[in-house]
Amino acid sequence: MAADISTGLIALGSGLAIGISAIAAAIAEKEIGAAAVGAMAEKEELFGKGLILTVIPETLVIFGLVVAILILNLAKGG
Amino acid sequence: MLKPYQMSSVIITGPNIIQETVIKELHNLKILHIVEHSKNELADIGKPLESANKLSETLVRIRALIAALNIKKEETGFETGKGLLEIESATKKLNQEASSNLDELRKTEEQLSKNQAAKNELEILKDIDVPLESLTSYKSLAYFTGYIGNKSSVNFLKEELSKITDKFMVLGSIAGKKQFIVLFVEAKNKEQASSILNRHNFSPVNLANISNLKGNASANLKKLEGEAKKLQQRKEAIRKNLNQLSADHKGFLLAADEFLSEQLEKAEAPLKFASTQSSFLIKGWIPSEELSNSIGRLNKVAKNKIFVHFEPAKKEDKVPVKLKNPGYAKAFEFFIDLYGMPTYREIDPTFFIFLTFPIFFGIMLGDIGYGTISFMIFWILKKKMPKARNFFNILLLASFVSILFGLLYGEFFGEEKILELELPHLLSRVHDMFTLLYLSIGIGVVHVNIGLIIGFINEIRSHGFMHAVYAKASWVILQAGIALLALTYFKMIAISPLIGAVFLALAVLMLLKGEGVKGLIELPSILTNIMSYARLMAIGLSSVILAVIVNDSSKEFFHKGGFFIIVGVLILIIGHTINIMLGLLGSFLHSLRLHYVEFFSKFFHGGAKKYQPFGAKE
Repeated sequence: MAADISTGLIALGSGLAIGISAIAAAIAEKEIGAAAVGAMAEKEELFGKGLILTVIPETLVIFGLVVAILILNLAKGG
Repeated sequence: MLKPYQMSSVIITGPNIIQETVIKELHNLKILHIVEHSKNELADIGKPLESANKLSETLVRIRALIAALNIKKEETGFETGKGLLEIESATKKLNQEASSNLDELRKTEEQLSKNQAAKNELEILKDIDVPLESLTSYKSLAYFTGYIGNKSSVNFLKEELSKITDKFMVLGSIAGKKQFIVLFVEAKNKEQASSILNRHNFSPVNLANISNLKGNASANLKKLEGEAKKLQQRKEAIRKNLNQLSADHKGFLLAADEFLSEQLEKAEAPLKFASTQSSFLIKGWIPSEELSNSIGRLNKVAKNKIFVHFEPAKKEDKVPVKLKNPGYAKAFEFFIDLYGMPTYREIDPTFFIFLTFPIFFGIMLGDIGYGTISFMIFWILKKKMPKARNFFNILLLASFVSILFGLLYGEFFGEEKILELELPHLLSRVHDMFTLLYLSIGIGVVHVNIGLIIGFINEIRSHGFMHAVYAKASWVILQAGIALLALTYFKMIAISPLIGAVFLALAVLMLLKGEGVKGLIELPSILTNIMSYARLMAIGLSSVILAVIVNDSSKEFFHKGGFFIIVGVLILIIGHTINIMLGLLGSFLHSLRLHYVEFFSKFFHGGAKKYQPFGAKE
C-alpha cells in the first residue's frame, strides 16, 4: 500500500464524510428518540410511527456513506 | 395469507332474563369481539350483573393478599372447585390471619428501630459514669451533651469555665473518633457556658431516646441488647409464619384470582351492551366461518328467545382484524403486532416479512460459525422460554438463513480459510465489496417496488384504480425516469436525455394529483429509501472486519507461543462473543427497520383493532 500523503488525505476525507454525518444523525435522532419514547409511554400503538420518525435522520449517514464511497472511487480513478 | 379472516357483524338482542345465560355461552364460545356501546338517547349501557360488586370486592382482597404475601404469578394447576361464597369466607379468614401477622410484624419492626436508636445513644455514653436520670432538666442545674473539637479542648474548656465559676463538672469520653463531653453547670451560668462551648466547636447531641432510663449507661445497654435479640427472634418467627401462610395458600389464591377475574369479566360484560328496561342488545364481530355454528349454540342455550342479526362487513365499518397466515409464517405476525394491525381491507404483509426478513438478516450476519452458534443459543432459549416461542422461531429461521449465506460467502468466524483449505465461495464480502453494494441496492429496488405494488392494490381497494395510478404507479415511473437519465448521462444507452426528463415530469405531475404537495415533498425519499438498503452490505462488512481483526490479533499471540496461547484463546472467545452479540442485534434491528420504514411506508395504513374475542385470554 502506497502510504504517501495523498492516500492519507483521501482516507481522512472519506472517514470524515462518514463520521461527521453519523454525528449529525445521532444528534437529530437523540431528540426525536426521546420524544418518541415519551409518546409511546402514553400510547403504545405509536410504536410504528415513533420508529419511523426516529430513523428518518439515518438518511444523513447513508448520504455520508455514498460520499465516502465516491471519494474512494475518485481516488482510484485519479 | 395476505388477507385477514373474513368477519361478519353480528347483533344479538333478547330479554333481560336470559342475559346471564347468553353471556355465559358467549364466554365459553370465545368467539365474539364485542363492540362497546356508548350511551345515546335510544339506549343506555347495561347494568353489571348482581354478583359484580361482591366479586370485585373479593378480588381486590385476594389481589391485596397476593401482593402482601409476595406470591409470584405462575401456573399452579390448582383448581378452586368452589363457588364465590366459599372463596369469600376463605379469603376473609386468610385475610385476618395475614393482617394480624403483618400488624405484628410492623409493630416489632418499630420497636426494633426504637431500640436501635436508644442503643446508639447509650453507646456514646457507656464510658461516662453518670446515672442516666441525672440527664433531665432541673431548676438549678443545666447540662450539655455533645461533641467538642479534641481532647485538649477539654482542658481549655475547664480552664475557661473555672474563671466564671467553680461549680461545674465535665465528664468526657471518646466516642468513635470524636471527643464527647457531658457538662453540668449551675443554671444561672448556662448562657456563659454555652458561649464558651461554641468557641470550642461544640456540636450538641440530643439524647431524646433514653430520657426515661435509669441507672448507668452500660448496664442499660446490656439490657437493651437482650431485648433486641428477643425482638429479632420474634420478627423471624412472624416472617416464618407469613412465608408458611404464603406457601400454604399460594395455589388457592392464584386459582381464586383467575376464577374470579373470569367471573367478574362475565358480570361486567353488560357494561358494553346497549340496554332498555327489559331487553339487551350486543353488537360485535364473529369470523364468518364460525358464524352458523356459534349462532346455533347461542339459540340452543337461549331456547330461541334471542334474535341474532348478521351481515358481512360493509366498506365503512371499522372491522377488528384477525390475521390469517399459514403455520410456517404465523410467527412473523409478531412483527405486525408490534407495529400495528393493518386495516380489514389492506393486504396483510406477514407473508412478505416471512420471505424477506430472514434473507436480509442472513445477508448481514452471513457466517457459518456465527449462524451455527446463534442457532444453538436460540434453540436453548426457546426451550427455556416457551412463552416467547414465536419470537425465537423467527430468530431460528433467520440464523439458519445466515448459515446458508455463510456458505455463499465462504466465511467461518470471519475466516475464509480453515487450515490452509480455502472455503469455496460465490462472493467474498471482504474482497467483492462493491459487487455486494450493488447487489444490496438492487435488492432495495426490488423490495421497494414490491411495496409499491402492494400499495397499488391497497389503493385500488380503498380509493379506486385512477387514484392508485396517481399515488403509487407514479413512483415506479419516477424510478424509470431517474434510471433513464442516469443511463443517458453515463452514455450507456443512446437516447435523448429528454425522454428521461419527460418520465420525471410525468411522475411529478401524477404525484401532485395523487398525494398533493405532500407527495412532492417526499420526492427524494424514494432515492434515500433505496440507498438505505446499502446497509445490507455495510453492516455485514463491519461484522466481518471485526471478526478478521479478532482473528488476526489472536494469531499474533499464537505465534509467540507458551503463555501467550492462553491470551490468544481469550481474545478469540471474548472478541467473537461481542461480535456475535453486535451482529445479532444489528442484523435484527436493521432488517426489521428495512421492513418497517422502507417497505411498509409504501403501502401500510394500519390502525385497525386487533380481534379480541370475549372470554379469550391474552
